[in-house]
Parts: sequence; structure tokens; C-alpha cells
Amino acid sequence: MSGSLWYQQAVALWRKDLRAELRTRVALGSMGVFALASLMLIALSMLSLKDEVFVDALGHSHLAWDNPAKMALLWVLFCFAAFAGLSHSFVHEESTGTAQNLRLFMSAHAVYAGKLFFNFTVLGAIMLVITPIYMLLTGMQVGGIMVFVPIMVWGGMSLAAVATTVAALASRAHTSGALFGAIGLPMLIVLLVLIMQAAKLCYSAHIDTISIVKDTGGLLSYGILIITLSALSFHFVWED
Amino acid sequence: MKISLIIKQKQVNNHSHFIPWQQVVRTQTGLRLCPLNTLRLQISNLGHRYGGRKLFQGVNLDAAAGTVVAVLGTNGTGKSTFLKIVAGLLTPWQGTVSLSLDGAALTGEKRRHIIGMTAPDMALYQELSGAENLEFFASLRGLNPDTAMLRSSLEKVGLKGRGRDLVSDYSSGMRQRLRLAVAQLGSPRLLLLDEPSSNLDAAGIEIVESVLNQHREAGHIVLIATNAPHEMEWGDVHLQVAQL
Repeated sequence: MSGSLWYQQAVALWRKDLRAELRTRVALGSMGVFALASLMLIALSMLSLKDEVFVDALGHSHLAWDNPAKMALLWVLFCFAAFAGLSHSFVHEESTGTAQNLRLFMSAHAVYAGKLFFNFTVLGAIMLVITPIYMLLTGMQVGGIMVFVPIMVWGGMSLAAVATTVAALASRAHTSGALFGAIGLPMLIVLLVLIMQAAKLCYSAHIDTISIVKDTGGLLSYGILIITLSALSFHFVWED
Repeated sequence: MKISLIIKQKQVNNHSHFIPWQQVVRTQTGLRLCPLNTLRLQISNLGHRYGGRKLFQGVNLDAAAGTVVAVLGTNGTGKSTFLKIVAGLLTPWQGTVSLSLDGAALTGEKRRHIIGMTAPDMALYQELSGAENLEFFASLRGLNPDTAMLRSSLEKVGLKGRGRDLVSDYSSGMRQRLRLAVAQLGSPRLLLLDEPSSNLDAAGIEIVESVLNQHREAGHIVLIATNAPHEMEWGDVHLQVAQL
């Protein structure tokens, strides 16, 4: 398959999904409502915890609700929001019968790329809206910008890749909802651990180049690994 | 249907190149000459089953360019499944389907690129308009869909002036017409039609027949899965898919 046709097909699918999404707002609606509702709950619970201090075993006192903890909660929110909305693109194609046409016209790789671009776009839009509101409500700081930006971009890319892969698997199963969570959880745990490592660096006093490369590089590598493995194995799931 | 004669014909075009071969094909309307692009569909001992239930077995076909094959069988015998196997959407339980052009086997993207298909369970995007559906599928074919091309495709299936309407607002007959337009994008050499005139009025049925004739004239292969007597008559060859 020529590279240009592969690219043209992936872009056409992305455009089609975006056009349909802007008309129906199914994914954006479900993710947005979930994210905003979670945001409200977090903000309300924060009010009582905001200035709480706890003392550890060594006698050091810490803020109960520090920046890395806030970052962790933000990503838990993104994960649930992504899983609430991003499965739609694949499940909808299967349930309405349009997937047959995609199989007839497109290569599996182009389908995966198109769906991944779309999920990354939708997740990116949600993150762009939710993150500033979350920071405003919880007082979460940016920290080291050289770490914060890669966390958000590469973390979002990895999360979109995980959600796309799991959505493809789940759409072929009858119990798609349950499967979505069951398969997604192991992949998400690794992602969240990597994000937490990078978040600690983001809010530490000394940020050196080697640490930036090590911690954010791990996140980038995980995203690339998930995308590569998914792209290579996608046709086993997609085709009969 | 059978190729009764192959003649080697030398012609000189504007670039002084030879047009190598043409073939004489016998159709319902008599003998005619069509380009020898030697598209050939060979199906050997094809069989399929869903779980423990066998659908059909031992189906053979050798169809050359310019052939319209009517795939017949009662409800549930697997006519639609047969077409999906030929399209490459399903892997057969047994047997082989090979498609070749000028003697070279077509696989992967090359194979996908020459197949057009319409079937009742191949849905269109309800949230998009008719023109947007066509534009999307044309892009997937690698075409550059401009307004004139979209308008022309819609006109050919009798949907002039309805391109901007959402597919969800289309009647079942209009959706079938749009499916037909989608299946013809890029003028596929192998056209698979599953009950092509279902939900269509008399004018729509005429459009289907005209499409069939155009593809026959162009030397394409067309397979129609049908139970309708008028669709059976369109076939140069009748292929019976029998339930086991």
C-alpha cells in the first residue's frame, strides 16, 4: 500500500469522525459531563483537605494535598473520562454496521491511525478545557514547565493510544463495557506509575536534564511502545 | 458468458503504443469486444460454516471479465456470506478465492482497491449527509472528490438535489441508491451486489440494470446475490449456493 493512500485514508477517517462528533457530540458530551462532574466532586472534597498537614514516621510534616497528589488525581480523572468516551468511535462503527465498509475500503493500519488521531484530538480538547479549571479550583501549580508539558502531551498521547487499543478489542466483544475496563486496567496502571514518577520530578526543587530525559522519556517510550504494538497487531483484531 | 474467441489486435493510439489484446465476449445481447484486462475470478471448492452449522460447500466458479454472475439460493443458504468471502471480509472455512489481473494474483491493497460492494447490512453514516458519505468513501478510494464528481455520482443514482440531506432523513430506497453510488466509486472491476434492487422503485431498478450493463461493457465482473426473478435475469451465469 502506498504511503500517500494510507495517509489519505487515515486523515479521511479522522475528518469523518470529527465531523460526526461535532454534529452528535457523543464522545465529547459523555467525557465532558463525566470530567466536569468529577471536577466538582474533587473541588468540594479539596475544601476540607486543602491546608491539612500530616507528620510522617520521621517527624517531618507534609501537606496532605500536595502538587503530585493533585496531578495524580487529575490523571485519574482523565483516565475515567477517556474510558467513558473514547470507546464510542469503534463501538459505534461495529454496532451500526459501518465497520464493514471500513474493512472493505481501508487497510487495518489506516483505520487504527485514523481512530488514534481522532481519540487524541478529542482527549486533547477535553484536557485543554479541564486542566486550567482543575488548576484554578485545586491550586495545582505548573511546576517545572519542561516536565509539565511533556507529561500532558505524551501522557495524553499514551492514554489515547491505550483507549484506542482497548476500544478496538472491546468493540469486537459482546460485553464491550466490561471488557473495556478489564483490559484497560493493566495498561493504565503502568501509564499512571510513569506519570507519577514524572510528576514528582515536575514539583521537585532540583530538576536536571538527565532526570527530565529519564522520567519524561519513559512516558514517551511507553506511548510509542503501545502505539507500535497496537498498530502491528491491530489487523488481528480488526479483520476476520 | 464464456469467452468464445480471443483475438490479438494491434491498434495504434496517439502515443504509437500497441493496445495488446481484446477479447470477444458472448453476452445476452450477443457477441461484443471488450478490453482484455483479463480480470479473472476463480473460486474453488468454497465452503463456509458458522460454528457447527454448515452453510454451503463445494462452490466453484471461474468468471472472466465482462461477466455478470447471479448467485442464487433460498434464504439462509449463505449468499450474502458468499459475497463477503469474495470481498475478503470473511475467511472461508474451506476452499479458495483468487482474483487475478493480467495473470497476476491480486492481494491486499491491490485487491481491496478493485472491489466495490453493496449489501443491506453495510450501513452508511446516518449523521452525515449523502454527499459527505460519498466524499468520505471517495477519499478512502484515493480519489479526489470535488463537488462536480459528487454531484455526478448522486445524479447517476437519482439523488440529484438530495446530497445535502442527512442520511438519517433518507428513505430506505434512497439509502439503497446511495449504497449503489458508494459501491461504484472508482469504477471497481469486481462489483458485488447483495439484493441490489431491494427497497427500490421501478426507476431505481432501472438504474441498477443500467449500472450492471455499464460494468459488463467495461469488462468488469459483477456478482449479484438475489432471490428476485428480475435480478436473476440480469445474470449471464447462474451460480446456485445450496444449503447442506
